[in-house]
Amino acid sequence: MTETREVTAERGPFFFKRELGKEEGEYKLVGREIERPDAFSKIMGLTKFTADRLTEDVCFGKIVRSKYPHALIKRVIVDEALQIKGVLAVITAKDVPGENQIGYAIPDQPLLADKKVRYIGEPIAIVVAENEYAAEKGVEAVKVEYDPLPAVFDPLEALKPEAPKVHEKGNVALTTIIRKGDVEKGFKEADVVVENIYYTQRQEHAYLEPEAAIAYPEGDGIRVVLCTQSPFLVREFVSRVTGYSQSKIKVIGAPAGGAFGGKDDMGPMVASKAALAAIITKKPVAIILDKEETFVASNKRHPAIIRYKSGATKDGKLTAVEIEIIYETGAYANRSPFVLWRATVHSAGPYVVPNAKVDGKSVYTNKVFSGSFRGFGDPQIHFAAEQQMDELAEKLGIDPVEFRLRNVLKEGTRTVCNQLLEESVGMEETLKKVAEAANWKKKREELKKYRKGSKVRGIGVACAYHGISTSRGVPDWSAAAVLLNEDGTITYRSTITRLGQGSLIGHAKIVAEILDIPLEWVHIEEPDTSASPNARPTHGSRGLMTGGTAAADAALKLRRTLIKLASELLNCDEKNVKLENGKAFCALDPSNKIEFSELAKETYQRGYQPAYYGFYFVPRRYFDPETGLGVAYCVYTYIANIVEVEVDKETGEVKVLEAYTGADVGKAIDPGLIEGQMQGALAQGIGYAISEEVAFNDGKIINPNYTDYIIPTVKDVPRKVKVVIIEKPYSSTAFGAKGVAEAALIPTAPAIANAVAHATGVRVRNLPLTKEKVCFKLKEGKK
Amino acid sequence: MGKKISFILNGVKREVYVEPNELLLNVLREKMGLTGTKYGCGIGECGACTVLLNGNPVLSCLTLAMDVDGKELVTIEGLAQEELQIIQRTFLEEGAVQCGFCTPGIIIMAKSLLKNKTNPTEEEIREYLKGNLCRCTGYVNIVKSIKRAAGKACKKC
Repeated sequence: MTETREVTAERGPFFFKRELGKEEGEYKLVGREIERPDAFSKIMGLTKFTADRLTEDVCFGKIVRSKYPHALIKRVIVDEALQIKGVLAVITAKDVPGENQIGYAIPDQPLLADKKVRYIGEPIAIVVAENEYAAEKGVEAVKVEYDPLPAVFDPLEALKPEAPKVHEKGNVALTTIIRKGDVEKGFKEADVVVENIYYTQRQEHAYLEPEAAIAYPEGDGIRVVLCTQSPFLVREFVSRVTGYSQSKIKVIGAPAGGAFGGKDDMGPMVASKAALAAIITKKPVAIILDKEETFVASNKRHPAIIRYKSGATKDGKLTAVEIEIIYETGAYANRSPFVLWRATVHSAGPYVVPNAKVDGKSVYTNKVFSGSFRGFGDPQIHFAAEQQMDELAEKLGIDPVEFRLRNVLKEGTRTVCNQLLEESVGMEETLKKVAEAANWKKKREELKKYRKGSKVRGIGVACAYHGISTSRGVPDWSAAAVLLNEDGTITYRSTITRLGQGSLIGHAKIVAEILDIPLEWVHIEEPDTSASPNARPTHGSRGLMTGGTAAADAALKLRRTLIKLASELLNCDEKNVKLENGKAFCALDPSNKIEFSELAKETYQRGYQPAYYGFYFVPRRYFDPETGLGVAYCVYTYIANIVEVEVDKETGEVKVLEAYTGADVGKAIDPGLIEGQMQGALAQGIGYAISEEVAFNDGKIINPNYTDYIIPTVKDVPRKVKVVIIEKPYSSTAFGAKGVAEAALIPTAPAIANAVAHATGVRVRNLPLTKEKVCFKLKEGKK
Repeated sequence: MGKKISFILNGVKREVYVEPNELLLNVLREKMGLTGTKYGCGIGECGACTVLLNGNPVLSCLTLAMDVDGKELVTIEGLAQEELQIIQRTFLEEGAVQCGFCTPGIIIMAKSLLKNKTNPTEEEIREYLKGNLCRCTGYVNIVKSIKRAAGKACKKC
């Protein structure tokens, strides 16, 4: 195996200190918490989400969905629907001018089902009408004749040879593998071995804003406005479906009311339908899902079945893991190749394991497709890995934090994929700091007192790591544009989208810091594929790390131009020109200065280039998919969570009383935004751990609403939440930043399960930890 | 065509024709151009469509437009008439806003809470807001904002 490194420019903290001539403490924006510039319009109710942009001329598209989990489509009868007043068109697969194909990595998913349906809720036709009411009537009037087929709802059933085939080529969408060292030898060396099976459930994103897209025919092209995580990916899919060239498609990324991965997958699907409807009817068309549709037909977090065997020596060193992973992808593969690979390469947790045998399978069933969801395969695998760690620690009689510390990845160690970690590895420090914040040792002892009566308390820990950007050798890059206006303000363009996380605010801070101007001078344009460079998707916690580094690249180019220009204007050597507080001056004589607005004017007057394209290509190296060895990700974010829980032994209710979450984020561009991401991810993780589960009856989702699908309310979250930020900068990115948006969710469920085990002595290996399950386990435990 | 109703909307008298089955949420968003009030679930589960009707919070997705005839309505757009409400200010300062979709409903509820109870305890805040879902923030900074707003003199609340 080769380990050649592609040459990339060093851009980490030292580079920026040198380039800007400042110490980190002198930064005005980077590293400091600010009031979000986008919050004002939100507290005034003035932010325009997609559905807030409807005008009177916009028609509505509503979707005819499959009523069967698995059936052949005999006929779609649309005549009656077309008779309804206001109905303009009923669009079926045969009307698709381009490719009727929306599969992300594997071409297995039609935009509109034509020959067969594979899950309840699958789109078959789009009814377009002048108003929403007529469109709904139209949907009811479309008759679909089906030939029902036997269906399969369980991934283990689906793997049997006699199982109904969801797809012709069989029910295994793909497999993954890691072969490292000698597992047999590893287990022989172990003094304790623990083997268990873990089950995790489907989780729904449950963002408040339903998926929405409005498409407008414009000249010989089309414009689509929608809540999306990747305007350019939407453009690619709209082009594929409509046959329009990409240059004739303009995609605007409106602010999203939450996304969490869901709108990464759903954006292209909803936009393509709206675009199709607009092209066919020659009218602007909006497709806005209602809440039930969102629950029924949007992608979900993959349910998993994980068999996990791990061994350790009596001095507390891991020797081997043997893991079988089954991720249920539902009716279509969607993002499964990426989700399963991510789970596979993170399967040992953030620890050194010399011997590993890992086999992953992604399996089709007749249920709604799985896909992207904050954590992207890592929450499931860490749920297993981190409970294994606790069980090994318990068997060895070593404190769980101590046991982890003996095995954590450090600089110079290798991951389960044999990837050498050269820098920015903050697992040890993160775990230590979080344990300190939680007062771990004392609490772990003290809580043993809460063992009498029906309510008992426990404290649990879990760690995680999460690769940023794309996995394996898959290329990843980002771009941004900075334009200096004649009055000295900056127009900033990127297609990283606004999901509430605030990545673009981070970009603007980076640009303003590099130019040393007030943040208000940087105007963030709405992401637009016809005007903004392709920053690629807002996923994989990459929005700030990759997009922000591209922003820095553009801003640095402008900075160098301005320094050259100022040198000319001030008659001062370039090395003595300083940019500070919206001015340029000569360090030898600070009174020899020029205002930024003057500088901007002169940029144009003297023929200097006023706009720059910034580009960042993520370092990548060799990865061998045949052995699962190599460089899986360029860099990782390391996370530790500690939670204190109370378990009601009568009812089985688990309450999280306190939570401590810490992450090594490289460099915190904005600690406030990071805290926000971690607090939110933690709450989503608590929902995942305790209450959230998409429930089915014969392939039909039976809890498609907030009453039956329980996400945490303000009463269900811990009263005390503490966020710890660790900074181990990464040398390849702007100021050393890594990603953080997904981080805190990943170890939340295992930390809770470990705390419940500490409180009750009973281990639940099946998510979510509902009252029923905990009660049942407690009764079982008593026997 | 429907029936003409008149009501005070954000301090201004307005008249509009509504159908008997038309929901207040749709009238606000489609006929009044006030899109700050959000459609989240449409069935009264999420709280994103909360508005103040005669000073009390109601879910506009479950309220018939006809029912506001002759009454006074305040939406998020009308909350800050001359200056920001204290609760809006603390929301800014505490970073209580992420995607902003639940924000209008939560600010309306918080305003209503502080009007009825100038100094609520944390548990009272949580109890009052339990019908407003937020999927982004984990509620940490939202609760902090309301606690801080509660501590302040709130003459206009």
